Amino acid sequence: MTETGQADVASRVSEALVTAGSTFRPDKKEAYRQAIRREQNPRAKWVLETILENAEAAEKNRAPLCDDTGIPHLLLEVGPDRCITGQLLSQIRQGVAEGLRKLPGRPMGIMGNDIQRLDQSGGLNPDSAGVEPTPLLIRETPENVLRLHILMFGGGPAIRAKTYRVFHRHSAQTVSDEIVSWATEAVKQLGCTPCTLAVGVGRSHFEASALMLQAQADGRYDRQTDMEKEITSRVNAADIGPLGLHGGTSVLATFLKVGPQRASGVRIVCLRPACCFEPRIATVDL
Amino acid sequence: MPKQISTPIPEETVRALQVGDTVEISGYILCGRDAVLPKLVALIEAGEQLPEDLRGQVIFHTAVSPAGVGPTSSNKLEIESSIEPLSKAGVKLHLGKGALRPETVAALERENAVYAVIPPVTALLGEKTLETRCAAFPELGMEALYMILADRYPAIIAAAHGRSIYD
Repeated sequence: MTETGQADVASRVSEALVTAGSTFRPDKKEAYRQAIRREQNPRAKWVLETILENAEAAEKNRAPLCDDTGIPHLLLEVGPDRCITGQLLSQIRQGVAEGLRKLPGRPMGIMGNDIQRLDQSGGLNPDSAGVEPTPLLIRETPENVLRLHILMFGGGPAIRAKTYRVFHRHSAQTVSDEIVSWATEAVKQLGCTPCTLAVGVGRSHFEASALMLQAQADGRYDRQTDMEKEITSRVNAADIGPLGLHGGTSVLATFLKVGPQRASGVRIVCLRPACCFEPRIATVDL
Repeated sequence: MPKQISTPIPEETVRALQVGDTVEISGYILCGRDAVLPKLVALIEAGEQLPEDLRGQVIFHTAVSPAGVGPTSSNKLEIESSIEPLSKAGVKLHLGKGALRPETVAALERENAVYAVIPPVTALLGEKTLETRCAAFPELGMEALYMILADRYPAIIAAAHGRSIYD
């Protein structure tokens, strides 16, 4: 790759990160508009309108949707004739750092050794780019592209997320029931509702978490399976509502990804109650 | 129409607020969260001089950083446990998000203080924040105690007079 090409990759990654942190995708905006039209509770409707107004201001100003600007999570799709080099990974990392400074990301990286990072005694890194991205996830794609998805994960959903085993009793309904039960509790606790429920079902905790991330990259508010619709509808029946103030809009949609499974009575489920701004995502071809 | 509230908030204004009221908050307000609120409470308990006059004040449960402001969960242990002692010291409105415990709602009633929730709308709040300065504990970075000048922050009264909107 030429020097110009390298700089171009970093620049595109940087812009994509700013977009992820400041922009609702069109299907998400439409999901909010539909929810506002449906919502009967006036306080809930006010919250939904304010969140959508915030999204418009953030997009116009290229400014953060939320002050918890999140931890960058990266999903790289690789086409049949494309290759990944160490140089490319370095440029992606540089682009993430530049994007965090430009957004600007909240400077919340903790400095110090293991103990200091655990008890927060090492102090805060004043540089927004001190927030390091999580390990990169890679998957194949039939398109001949190198496509990077950048997702910004906030802290509230991380507190209420859960990855655990489900004894399925040879019934998908049992798995669905358990997801609804977990989600109802998590959404009540979250505060920043309405949610998008991101769910991965795999054979290990790692796989389930990776599928949960991919569910957010692939999910669309205007394309919902019957199982996704059922989960959304049942959690909405709990009358939690936006910001927990009651109403019919606790969940906008469910993004569910079921991976390969093993011959066993157990499924591993990862559920993240993504907050009212998530998935904060942008996609860029490198 | 939202009720207009300005700091310092008089006792009678608080008495007139009801659960479910939409309000707009203006004036100089304090910002703090997990790290700094216990330190402020410790100063009160030790009878030491406070960095700011808390009478009639608002405490917004938020970090203050270049990314802006936005509510963190008020029911986190270190934040919720500060609500009663800060109300006793004169704070009239605690601003954050999430349901509070019944004991905290009762303490608010005793001190004629209220709790309001604010949507996490950082981009909008950025347009409504006119000044920002660090008021104390600068070593805590974004988690220090800040004083900001708010211009019509939107919120809903979520706990007042022993009642909670989450009930």
